[in-house]
Amino acid sequence: MGDSLITIVAIVLAAILMFVFPLMSMSDRTDDISQLTVKTATTEFVDNVRTTGRLSLADYSAFEQEIHATGNSYDIEMEVKVLDENPGKKTTQASSTKIGENVYYSMYTSQILETLNQGNAVLALKEGDMFSTSVRNTNTTLSQQLKNFFYTVAGNDTYTIAAEHGGYVTANGSGGN
Amino acid sequence: MMKYQYLAVVFVIIMLPISLVFSAYIGTQLDTLDLQISYDTKLDNATYDAIKAFQLNTVNSTTSDIVNSKIRDIEAAANSFFTSIATNFNMAGYNSDILQQYVPALVFTLYDGFYIYSPFENTLDEETRQQLQNNTSATYVGGERVTGLKPYIYYSCRYVQGTTDVVITYSLDNYVTIQGQANGKKINDAGYLLSNLTYNASSGTVTYRGVEISEEPALKEYIGNDSNGGQYTYIKINGVKYYRENDGTWFTITTSGTKQPQSESFNAYYNDFNDMGYRYYKEAYDFQNRIVNEYGLGSLTSANAVDQNGNPLTNIQDDEGNIIYNFMGANDRIFNFSDDIEEPDSDFNNHRIAVIRYVVENNLAVALANYNRVGTVTYEFAMPKLAEEDWDKILNNVCLISFLQGLSIGGKIYNGYSVINNNKNEEVVTENSIYIVQNRNNINSEYHRVTHTGLFDSVDNNSLGVFNVDFERKTFGSAQRETTFYYYPHYYLGCYTCYVAQTNTATGYSNIYDYLDSGSNKTLAKIYYTALGRERYSMYKVFRNPDDHIAQFRT
Repeated sequence: MGDSLITIVAIVLAAILMFVFPLMSMSDRTDDISQLTVKTATTEFVDNVRTTGRLSLADYSAFEQEIHATGNSYDIEMEVKVLDENPGKKTTQASSTKIGENVYYSMYTSQILETLNQGNAVLALKEGDMFSTSVRNTNTTLSQQLKNFFYTVAGNDTYTIAAEHGGYVTANGSGGN
Repeated sequence: MMKYQYLAVVFVIIMLPISLVFSAYIGTQLDTLDLQISYDTKLDNATYDAIKAFQLNTVNSTTSDIVNSKIRDIEAAANSFFTSIATNFNMAGYNSDILQQYVPALVFTLYDGFYIYSPFENTLDEETRQQLQNNTSATYVGGERVTGLKPYIYYSCRYVQGTTDVVITYSLDNYVTIQGQANGKKINDAGYLLSNLTYNASSGTVTYRGVEISEEPALKEYIGNDSNGGQYTYIKINGVKYYRENDGTWFTITTSGTKQPQSESFNAYYNDFNDMGYRYYKEAYDFQNRIVNEYGLGSLTSANAVDQNGNPLTNIQDDEGNIIYNFMGANDRIFNFSDDIEEPDSDFNNHRIAVIRYVVENNLAVALANYNRVGTVTYEFAMPKLAEEDWDKILNNVCLISFLQGLSIGGKIYNGYSVINNNKNEEVVTENSIYIVQNRNNINSEYHRVTHTGLFDSVDNNSLGVFNVDFERKTFGSAQRETTFYYYPHYYLGCYTCYVAQTNTATGYSNIYDYLDSGSNKTLAKIYYTALGRERYSMYKVFRNPDDHIAQFRT
């Protein structure tokens, strides 16, 4: 009686140790690799937009494809802060010892994608604008599933793969051609 | 009975270390990559700071085109690069002096050539060395390692064809300088290359792409905190703006932002008119005639290009070894005026870009290789392969290329570069640097990109083409330099749909020339071409004799 109980416990323990442990370890590494890919891709994408002043549909699709190749689904959030120098000019006119204050207004992912998909295919930015992108995974990766199963530390909506990058646009881009 | 447990334990004993090592390895790789990305970004930011410093200095200085003041601006930009990179790297424990050893070169590509800022061994000649031997307070000592600008390198190329042996110096636009001997005749000439020009000698009218280019009303600008509060008429000659005072005298603005009266005045014609645009096209027409008829250079092709030893140039390859440009095989006729020479895909432009790339690539590789001799860091510095999109930036704009190599980032040694271009400076007037002001007489009028949808029909004779630098904020000091004032030369406002955000611009054309050709109403084309010509003609040119040039406007 006691023996068969121990046998069952032993089999369960052995199964966990021999299958689940390596599986968890491997899936953790997979996530690490995905993280590596996503981080590199995001930085490259943002820096390319920043230094050319152009965000094209082709670049965006290539970026999307690259991160999705890791086998996860991602939520990509982009933001362009458009520099409006016009209010600054008015301030300076009033008092020339003051540096005019610049105003930024934001365009978010849906607006950016709408512009890109409107046949324009290029969103041209100018020097002084800001561009940032943040990416996080939306599916539950294998490693998350296993962790949730065993020690339920992570809630369901948390993400393990995330990257963000942003900065000043350094050149005037031109749209159209 | 217990063998399952034993098996499992043995398995864990084998797997656990493997897993741990693997995890640590991946962790290190991640850290290395993190560091590399953060270094890339820091390098980008420092490079941007440097080019921004250059931009601000040139915009606020009327003498920025002249060589010694350009050197001053570039050295200031290099300083801001090191200050910025030291600030960025401070957290990692690097200061400016240490970092300087890891920067083999900063390359400033300018209008018709480039500067390399890098360390070199200051070799003094024997005579100077002896003179300085007993002088302990001398600034320079022989054999010392000095960081500074190396001599300016022009984008030039030598061509040999029969009895013709000339050197052509290219620039970021269609301006070329030709020096040497062509068909037995000595040449030293420079000018802009343009196709589609006609000139009527009897009426003196110049037509460019079907648009007659004529004089335009005199240009006006606001200056500083002047109590007049009004605009001043100005003309820009050889890169310097001369403003007309109400009493008829002329003055310039000094680098510190104060007025500098001029002893001589200009022809009364310039009180009301400006013919710089007309002169640009007329001189381009004359230059074309000289090249084709007088010098007989019309048949020069890319295959005639040779290096200093007379050997043909090697092909240009990308980082994967694909041939980008084949000098022998491309068969581009350089002065092919029937080929829309000013358009980006002309024979001339393909060849020009290849020459610029050839010159930059070769000189840079030498500079980086030489760094190993003077460098104090034990790392074999090598030229990284620049990506094609980076070459695109370098070949079309003023640019700063910075290199940072040899820093340890965990698993490997960092070897990075950054290319930041700038298209808002006094160095070059590109096709995209001209904006169109709807109504020049209305201070609240908007300015637009040329490609603003619907602009063809909304411009009229009151519209004006303005160089983008003239919209930049400038500084203006009081005589005692107590306060710095800020002002805009133009208070026109940027259009919200084509300048602030470019959501309403035309698409589907290959370049601005084609776009302007497509409109039936030629007013926009006339305003744009006049402004482009005016701004290019007003730029400082090394080739010109400044006194002779300005004298033309005095009589």
